[in-house]
Amino acid sequence: MAFDGLDIALSLLKIVIVLAALLNVTPIMVWVERRGSALIQDRVGPNRVGPFGLFQAIADAAKFLLKEDVIPREANKWLYTIAPMFGLIPALTTIAVIPWGRPFRLSDGRLFEPIVADVNVGILLIFALASLSVYGIVTAGWASNNKYSLFGGIRSSAQMISYELALTLSAISALMVAGSLRLTDVVWKQTGSFVLFDTIRIPAWNIFSPAMWLSCIVFSVAAFAETNRLPFDFAEADAELVAGYHTEYSAMKFALFFMSEYMAMATMSALVTTLFLGGWDIPWYNEPATFLGFILSVIAFVVKVTFLLLTFVWVRWTIPRLKYDILMRVGWKVFLPLAVVNLLLVSWFIAERWI
Amino acid sequence: MINFVIFFFFAALAVIFALMVILHRNPVVSALSLVVSLFSLAVMYILLEVPFLAALQVIIYAGAIMVLFLFVIMLLNLQRRREETTRPVQQFLGFTASAAFAVALIYYLAKYAVMTLPNGPFLADARTIGIRLFETYFFPFEMVSILLLAAIVGALLLSARGLPSPDPERSEGANAPEVPGR
Amino acid sequence: MIPTQWFLILGAVLFCIGVCGVLTRRNGITIFMSIELMVNAVNLTFLAYARQFHQLHGVIFVFFIMAIAAAEAAVGLAIFISLFHHRETIDVDEANLMRW
Repeated sequence: MAFDGLDIALSLLKIVIVLAALLNVTPIMVWVERRGSALIQDRVGPNRVGPFGLFQAIADAAKFLLKEDVIPREANKWLYTIAPMFGLIPALTTIAVIPWGRPFRLSDGRLFEPIVADVNVGILLIFALASLSVYGIVTAGWASNNKYSLFGGIRSSAQMISYELALTLSAISALMVAGSLRLTDVVWKQTGSFVLFDTIRIPAWNIFSPAMWLSCIVFSVAAFAETNRLPFDFAEADAELVAGYHTEYSAMKFALFFMSEYMAMATMSALVTTLFLGGWDIPWYNEPATFLGFILSVIAFVVKVTFLLLTFVWVRWTIPRLKYDILMRVGWKVFLPLAVVNLLLVSWFIAERWI
Repeated sequence: MINFVIFFFFAALAVIFALMVILHRNPVVSALSLVVSLFSLAVMYILLEVPFLAALQVIIYAGAIMVLFLFVIMLLNLQRRREETTRPVQQFLGFTASAAFAVALIYYLAKYAVMTLPNGPFLADARTIGIRLFETYFFPFEMVSILLLAAIVGALLLSARGLPSPDPERSEGANAPEVPGR
Repeated sequence: MIPTQWFLILGAVLFCIGVCGVLTRRNGITIFMSIELMVNAVNLTFLAYARQFHQLHGVIFVFFIMAIAAAEAAVGLAIFISLFHHRETIDVDEANLMRW
C-alpha cells in the first residue's frame, strides 16, 4: 500500500488526540469522583481550589510532583520502581484499537479512520494487554516488602485473573453477532435499526436486543473486577489493608498507579460502549461520511463513555465491598457459568436468525 | 525497513531476557524476565503475519501461565532461599554442551536453511484458523479440552493438603459414637 | 520481508539458552521456566515454517502446543508445591529418593 507523509501525519495526529484525551481523563475524573461522592454522601466535597473546586486536580498533581519519593529500605529497588510501569502500559495502549468516530472522506478522497490501529484481531489485543496489568499489582505488592501489600497484591491479582474469563466469554457474544474480531465491524453492525411491529424503530445497539442483556450484565460486572473498582477493590481495600498494594508508594509512583486505574476505567467504559452501546453511532440518524458526521459521532461516543464513567463513580459509592471469599466464589461459580450459558444462548439465537 | 528494526530490537530483547532467566539468582526476577521474553516473542509472531497467535501468546503465556509461576514463587516464599550453586563440573559441562549445540545448529541453519518466501498473503486470521480447527482438527480440539479438564482436576488434587479423609465412622450420621484415638 | 532463516536462528538460540538453563540450575521453578523457554522457541520455529510454506498446519499445531503447555505448567507447579510441602526444599538435587 502506498504510504506517504500525509498518512504518517494523520496517524500521529490520531495518536496525539487519543493520548491527550486519555491523559486528561484522570484530572477530570478526580474532580468528578470527589464531588460525585460528596453529592451521594450528602456533603460538599472540595470547593476551595477554584470555582466549585475545579482546580483540585491541579493542586493534587502539584502535590504529587513535589512530594518526597520514599523507597523503603528493604524493598527491591528495581522491581519497586518498574511496578507502576506494568500498570501504566496496558492502560495507555489498549485504547489504540477502539474506534472513536465515524470514518469520513478527506478532501482528496482519502478515508480517515479514527482508530489508531485497526488490526484484524482488535479485541484480542485488549484482552492481552489487560492481562498484563496483573503484573503491576503483583510486583508492587511483592516488591514493597510489606505483608499487607503482598496480601492486597495477591488477592487482587487472583480476583483479576478469575474475572478475566467471564469478561472474555461475555465479550465473545457481541463478537459473534458482528461476525468479526475487529471493533470497527462490531460498531458497523450496530448502526441501523431494528424495526418492531413495522412502525417502531429502535437503534440496532447490542444492548437493545434481549439476547445480549445477560452478556452486558456479566461484562459490566467483570469490567468492574478488572479495573479494581468497588465492589471489587481488594487491591486498595481502604478499610482493611491500609492501602493494599500501593501502601508503600508515595509521590509520583503512587500518582502513576492512580492514573493507570482511571485510564483503565476509561478504556473499559469505551470498550463497553463499543460492544454494547453502539460505539460512535448516533441513534436514529444516519451520519454522513463528512467531517460534520465525524464530529457528531465523536461527541456521541464521548457522551456514552462519560455516562459509563459516571456509573462507575455512582456504583463505587453505593454498593459495599464484597467479602473476598464470596467474591471469588461468585466469580467462579456464578459468573463463569453465566458467561458460558450466555455463549450458548447467543449462538442459538444467531443460528435461528433472530439477531 | 521498519520490519528489520523491529525484528532486531525484539530479538535482542528476547535473547537478553532469556539469558537473565537462566542466570539470575532471584526466581521472581527470572519469572518477570521470562514475561518480557515471551512478550518479545509475541512481537515476532506479529512479524510472521499471525497476529491471532501473538495475542493468544500474550493472553495465555504471559498473562496466565507466568502469573501462575509468580503466584507459586511468592506463596512458597522462594526468593528467601539461597539456591546452592551448582557444582562447577556440572556448570562447565552444561554451558559447553549447550554452547556446542547452539553453534552447530546456527552453523547448519545459516548454511542450508536459505529459503525464498512464496508470493501472496498468508491468511492466518481467526476465521481461517477457526474453520480449520473445526473441520480438519476437530478431534484433537476436543481431546485438548478433556486434557485441560484432567489438568485442572490433577492440579487441584496435587496441591490441596489437609483434605478431610473419608472417615467410615462419621458416615453413620451425627449420632456416631466418639471413637478414642481418631 | 524478513527471511525465515533469521527466525529459525533466533529459535535455535532461545532453545539452546533453555537447554543451558535446564542443565545448570538447581531451582526447580527455574528449570521449569527454562523448559517453557524451549517450548516457545519451538513455537517460533513452527510459525516460521508455517509462513514459509503458507500452510496452516504449523499455526494449528502451535495453538495446541500453547494449550498443552498451559496444562503442563499447572500440573507441574502443583507437583512442585506438593514436593515443597513434603521436603521443604525446591532444590531438584534434594529430590533423590529414587536414585541409586
